[in-house]
Amino acid sequence: MAKPEQIKDPALRAQIEQAFMEMRSGQGGAAVKTLAAAYLAMLAQKPSMLDETIELRPGRKMPAVMRWPALGANLTLESVLAKQPDIVFEREKFAVSEAITYYEFTLDSAISAGL
Amino acid sequence: MKFGLFYELQLPKTFEGETWDPDAEHRIYHEMLDQVELADKLGFDYVFEVEHHFLEEYSHSSAPELMMAALSQRTKNIRLGHGIVLTPPAYNHPARVAERISALDLLSNGRVEFGTGESASDMELGGFGVTRGLKKAMWEEATREITRMMNMEPYPGFQGEYFSMPERNVVPKPMQKPHPPLWVAASRRETTMVAARLGMGSLGFGFETPEELGERATEYYRLVREECMPIGQATNPALAVLNTFMMGPSDEEAIKRSANGPGFFSYSLGYYYNPLTGGRHTPGKRNIYRDYVNASSEAQAAVAVQARQGFLSDQEIAAGEPADEVQKALYRAARSGNAIGTTKRLRETLKLYEDQHLDTMIFVAQAGDRRHEHIMESIEMFGKELLPEFKERHEKVHKPWRAEQLRGVDFPINSSI
Repeated sequence: MAKPEQIKDPALRAQIEQAFMEMRSGQGGAAVKTLAAAYLAMLAQKPSMLDETIELRPGRKMPAVMRWPALGANLTLESVLAKQPDIVFEREKFAVSEAITYYEFTLDSAISAGL
Repeated sequence: MKFGLFYELQLPKTFEGETWDPDAEHRIYHEMLDQVELADKLGFDYVFEVEHHFLEEYSHSSAPELMMAALSQRTKNIRLGHGIVLTPPAYNHPARVAERISALDLLSNGRVEFGTGESASDMELGGFGVTRGLKKAMWEEATREITRMMNMEPYPGFQGEYFSMPERNVVPKPMQKPHPPLWVAASRRETTMVAARLGMGSLGFGFETPEELGERATEYYRLVREECMPIGQATNPALAVLNTFMMGPSDEEAIKRSANGPGFFSYSLGYYYNPLTGGRHTPGKRNIYRDYVNASSEAQAAVAVQARQGFLSDQEIAAGEPADEVQKALYRAARSGNAIGTTKRLRETLKLYEDQHLDTMIFVAQAGDRRHEHIMESIEMFGKELLPEFKERHEKVHKPWRAEQLRGVDFPINSSI
């Protein structure tokens, strides 16, 4: 059961909690911005995450961090390969369902990374 | 645990030919009517049918509302599920969706399950001019407004990001108030949690294992209780998952009858949903079934391995499957899964899902080149030999557990579980 309380790092936990409040108040865009910043902070704090890969199909691997949802705030592969991860915003407004998707992913990632 | 059937209306081309037998589409539509009519008589709870466009061979179900209308007149009790309606406005204007769902609800005496989604194939997105990066936002905006149209008199109109319309009274209104139970297609864990937070049923297309399901059910119901922001005027707390299904007098015979069903299902799904292949599809020219049969020896070996893995433990399966959720779903869809075999095997394996508090198991019976008579026989076997005991435990065990999970929820609940 993933909950923000399980995040050890206080700054990261505060970001996730802020995103939750933004999401609850219908500010999808603000929540996604906060979550993108939180995810990049996670990667800066634990750069070994950039080296983890997942197998898409036999012989085809992809950096595991690229599972970050590509719903308009997109992590670019080039930046990951260059070890300088960057999230590019295609738009400012995001729906609540999009913010929830980013929230769930970021929360799960932070907890499984042990941060 | 309740049970349903799931239809893509798959129609592989013949191996030798460049197109279909001229009667093939007519035949599979009427076979589905017969299969669902039988399932209804035997007490199956749901039928869910997809809406897909242009995905030849993979799915010939582009007008499910018509099939559901026909079924509403040939069945008495089975609930008629859209699995799902594509709600981004370019596919279907939201007012038209509200009208069709309500009309079907009236025709069926209140048996509609309103599944929603957006699809991800280039053939469909491109065919209707839906921007991939905006489809989820479009889905949310339209779905929210459709639920309002179904119970506001008049609907006051809307100026949105993706559609606008003036004040109108959208009629008819559905029989189920405030609207039929809402679902969303969920092939990833995150989307199941989106469903929980928006108060929707999760139509799990990820072929989840019982162990994964246990974790998801716990988290899903916690979110429904503690963090729900309903998208509609009533919530539908419900978890459903798909499973491939074929029964027989022996496990070996069931696998034989299952034929290329799961393999073709997975192959053609992967083909259309991968932009590198589905995005380059040549309409009307390709024979995907032949490609599947002629797949490289490596791919064939993989399919063979997957077929055998229906009889491995979940741990053994997990050891050999891809980490990516979408690829994992394809991998699982391709193997001869948990619901293929004898009555004894299905009793044991489905009980594992029941023990993890799954609300609904939806069987993919019509797939690939499976034969109608085998599907009918499977429906009959399951309905007579297994369904009654699961129904009994649903009432005695699952419903009290569910009531406990939903204790304290103060939103209206409109669910058929």
